[in-house]
Amino acid sequence: MNDVTKESVAERPRVNVTAAEGGAGRHIGEGGLNLKPSGRVPAAASLEERTEGRTVGQTAVENAVFSCKDVSVYYGTKHALRNVTLDVGREQVLAMIGPSGCGKSTFLRCLNRMNDTIPGTRVTGSITLDGRDIHDKQLDVVQLRARIGMVFQKPNPFPKSIYENVAYGPRIHGRCRSRADLDDVVCTSLQRAGLWDEVKDRLNKPGTGLSGGQQQRLCIARTIAVQPEVILMDEPCSALDPVATARIEDLIDELRASYAIVIVTHSMQQAARVSQRTAYFHMGQLVEVGDTDRVFTNPRHRLTEDYITGRFG
Amino acid sequence: MLEGHISKAFDGALATLHMRVVEMGGLVLDQVREATHAYTNWNAESATRVIERESQVNDYEARLDEEQMTLIARRQPVATDLKIILAVSRSVAELERAGDEAKKIARTVLGHGGRPGPGTSRDARHLGRLAVDLLRLSLEAFDRLDADLATEVIARDQELDEEYAAGLRRLLTRAMEDPRHMEATVEAAFVLKALERIGDHARNLARHVMSINGDTHPLQQATAIPGGTSVGD
Repeated sequence: MNDVTKESVAERPRVNVTAAEGGAGRHIGEGGLNLKPSGRVPAAASLEERTEGRTVGQTAVENAVFSCKDVSVYYGTKHALRNVTLDVGREQVLAMIGPSGCGKSTFLRCLNRMNDTIPGTRVTGSITLDGRDIHDKQLDVVQLRARIGMVFQKPNPFPKSIYENVAYGPRIHGRCRSRADLDDVVCTSLQRAGLWDEVKDRLNKPGTGLSGGQQQRLCIARTIAVQPEVILMDEPCSALDPVATARIEDLIDELRASYAIVIVTHSMQQAARVSQRTAYFHMGQLVEVGDTDRVFTNPRHRLTEDYITGRFG
Repeated sequence: MLEGHISKAFDGALATLHMRVVEMGGLVLDQVREATHAYTNWNAESATRVIERESQVNDYEARLDEEQMTLIARRQPVATDLKIILAVSRSVAELERAGDEAKKIARTVLGHGGRPGPGTSRDARHLGRLAVDLLRLSLEAFDRLDADLATEVIARDQELDEEYAAGLRRLLTRAMEDPRHMEATVEAAFVLKALERIGDHARNLARHVMSINGDTHPLQQATAIPGGTSVGD
């Protein structure tokens, strides 16, 4: 917009408006005006240009469940995530979007210390869950992961019965005292995952015999059976058909009343549909974060705009 | 419009949409100019041409509506892409209404009212020139997404409004002096009003251009622009 030379009205050349029909090539307007569609327009000027290391938008939220400050991740010498500061709010869905290799999954894996399992990985900065540093040496990582459930891209039920898939977590964490308690947890979890009606008559059948969408809901039931505070989802619908995807998205919307949910997705439409906040990552940096409604209508950073409108990626 | 989309087909669809709006704008501009000519020279042939061509304006609107709906359904545009499509949709509606005003003027010539006197013709010619200028500039602003030019159109609409008020006062004064041609006077008042409305549509089109780059809805911009009035007035 800025590179369009502004002329005074007096100096502006008279132009021809050419009507396609009934007036091709004719001069319209006094003095002969020639307005031909230019077909191209300078890009929107209101967007901020990229500022190294600075995130656009509100990174902090009130009453955050996760509070991350200056988190960096190194895989050997590769600096995969650069100084990310971001809060995760309660009872809301945070969607993380960005091109492949932008660091969104790396950041997700920091939240439940999954990166610890990769040799040569170093995580710096601070990540607190309910005010407590998750890297505290006193903290039992098994207990931590019980508080932070995770759902993966491909459904990965255990090669056990549907019942055992859900009962496994509560049993090893000692959450249930009796068989009746366990039955109750399995039933409630399957109901909350929207799977109960489909599997109640075949709880002893193998979980791997279910359809892809059902398996993913079984994995979600397995996750919520241990009553986590946060559910992390890494592209949970990318292996599912549109109907199964819609059911999972519906489920995510219901679950956010009780859990904080962080979802990594390659589908921008999915991010727009399910989340309340959206974070855009680019080359290991958190470029922009804000209310989903705002990010998808008025992104403030040029890179966010370019990515969500499909101008690079 | 904006370029550089990964999908070249989407860029192409936006460019086609943009081109069609400018074409439609050219047709409407032609209609306004010819309708003013028909009225001020009391030329039935010109008036008939305007009325016959009105269906072309409506066809443009119908076709553009369909193209926009298809684009939204198939591409699910967001951010600036979505704002452009919404701005195009609103701009098309403004152009269609401006075309309607031109048709109203042309109908006056074919109606039962009398030919306007030299004073009224002069006022109508002057208002017509201002309205055509505003419409042309607003189309230029749309074509280039030029916010500066759009701002200028919005400010200049004020001038047209003032000229309209002055023209109407002169018309009423002449009618009071010589009340024999009351029907022609009433019709002349409608013609002047129609030209003033065309200026309003040009101003609204300029606001839609501004809405593409701003966070505000065009209706909200009225308060942000000194001397601005609301879209609906």
